[in-house]
Amino acid sequence: MKKRIGLAVAGAVALLYLGMEVRSVYAHHAFGAEFDPNRPVLLKGPVVRLEWINPHTWIHLEVTGEGGKKETWMVEGGTPNSLLRRGLKRDSIKIGQMIIVDGYQSKDRSSRANGRDITLPDGQKFFMGSSGTGAPYDAPGKEQRK
Amino acid sequence: MIVLPIALLLFQGATALPRTAGGEPDLSGTYDIATLTPLTRPGNVKDRLSLTDEEAKALAKATADQMAQKSLASDPNRKAPPAGGDGSEGAAGNVGGYNAVWVDNGTGAFKLDGKWRTSILIDPPNGQMPAMTQEARARAMARGRMSRPNRGDAFWITENMPVGPYDDPELRPVAERCLMGFGSSSGPPALPVLYNNLKQIVQTKDTVMILNEMVHDVRLIRINGKHEPEDIRRWLGDSVGRWEGDTLVVDTTNFKDQPGMSGASRNMRVIERFSRIDAKTLRYHFTVEDPTIWTKPFSGEMAWPATDARIYEYACHEGNYSFGNILRGARLLEAETLAKKNAK
Repeated sequence: MKKRIGLAVAGAVALLYLGMEVRSVYAHHAFGAEFDPNRPVLLKGPVVRLEWINPHTWIHLEVTGEGGKKETWMVEGGTPNSLLRRGLKRDSIKIGQMIIVDGYQSKDRSSRANGRDITLPDGQKFFMGSSGTGAPYDAPGKEQRK
Repeated sequence: MIVLPIALLLFQGATALPRTAGGEPDLSGTYDIATLTPLTRPGNVKDRLSLTDEEAKALAKATADQMAQKSLASDPNRKAPPAGGDGSEGAAGNVGGYNAVWVDNGTGAFKLDGKWRTSILIDPPNGQMPAMTQEARARAMARGRMSRPNRGDAFWITENMPVGPYDDPELRPVAERCLMGFGSSSGPPALPVLYNNLKQIVQTKDTVMILNEMVHDVRLIRINGKHEPEDIRRWLGDSVGRWEGDTLVVDTTNFKDQPGMSGASRNMRVIERFSRIDAKTLRYHFTVEDPTIWTKPFSGEMAWPATDARIYEYACHEGNYSFGNILRGARLLEAETLAKKNAK
């Protein structure tokens, strides 16, 4: 019983730390300055271009709107250095790969959005490292890079 | 009979750590300073310097669990996120992003002197920042007026503010402008941030260089050098070093108006102490004085563990599209808000 209480207290301490991490983050730029919370988007389509650049990657995908009109959207992703440490390189992602992105449109109303959640068509996370890459921060193994 | 073995032992102890040809401790290497231990101490551990083993394990496990949770597949038939924002805080700014795969901020607390630390700050002893001066509080309030939760509105127009936060590119934070890393990443004092926490130290007799992965900021520390004149100012300050026994003491002054350390002024002075704990770990200690901002100096310390990971280039200007998006977005919001205002 005593041990269980001890574990619960330890868990509470851990949760507080995690909470702090979320609240106190600094970043290259505040996403709040760039993206409009009043313009949520859901984008689906094939990857047409990858910009594996600093400070953030940008993934271009072709979205087919109502009436068949095609439009290229740019989606802001993580920094290449962090992605590389997870075993993801520019050529880990193939042109033509279908993806689903949810996020918010840029405040300048251009066809740009943040990649709040970027997945493959079956919902698997686009940015999680595939198993067995040997990358130091490999995510739990899933065969995603098909 | 006894003296000789002790002398031998002392000699061996003193030479066990790597040393340069000149005899100084060799601090060179690549270090990953990512840690979940925050700068200031969380409220429920405020009375103590260290976490128990159990707490440290729980923290590491909770972090790993959170990562695993965020790695799970999403609903492929999901809808767009909620209009009005997703409620995310901090840098995620009510629109999400900076998700699990983007961040690289460590897998656990750091250990120093055999204890898992609750905070980087050790002085004040409560692990909190000292009180700010009246002038600093006024500055912080002015900054606060400019920094609002993201609602996608041009509040500076509706509230008739004389200057808006997006009026001039030079009003934007230096990290957003790619001039320096964010959150005092390169320091001094060097503090862990969300990602790019690698440092490389290269040491010669006259100079110690610290290459920071973030924005490839480089600090050149002149050993036994003199500070630049008062009017020569640098983003990362002007650093001179000296050896005090086996500790490298670095004195940094001559900052510009916005040093990396949050809230600090150009009058900040930072004293850092680098020493070797063992062949794979450095002890990093710092004291910050800035009488313009804080009523007392403050000090912190952490471990810098060596890593086999490589430093990659982080050429922040390469594709900083965000900056244009931010400024263009502000112009559009202003035009719309003014049009609405004038229509009334």
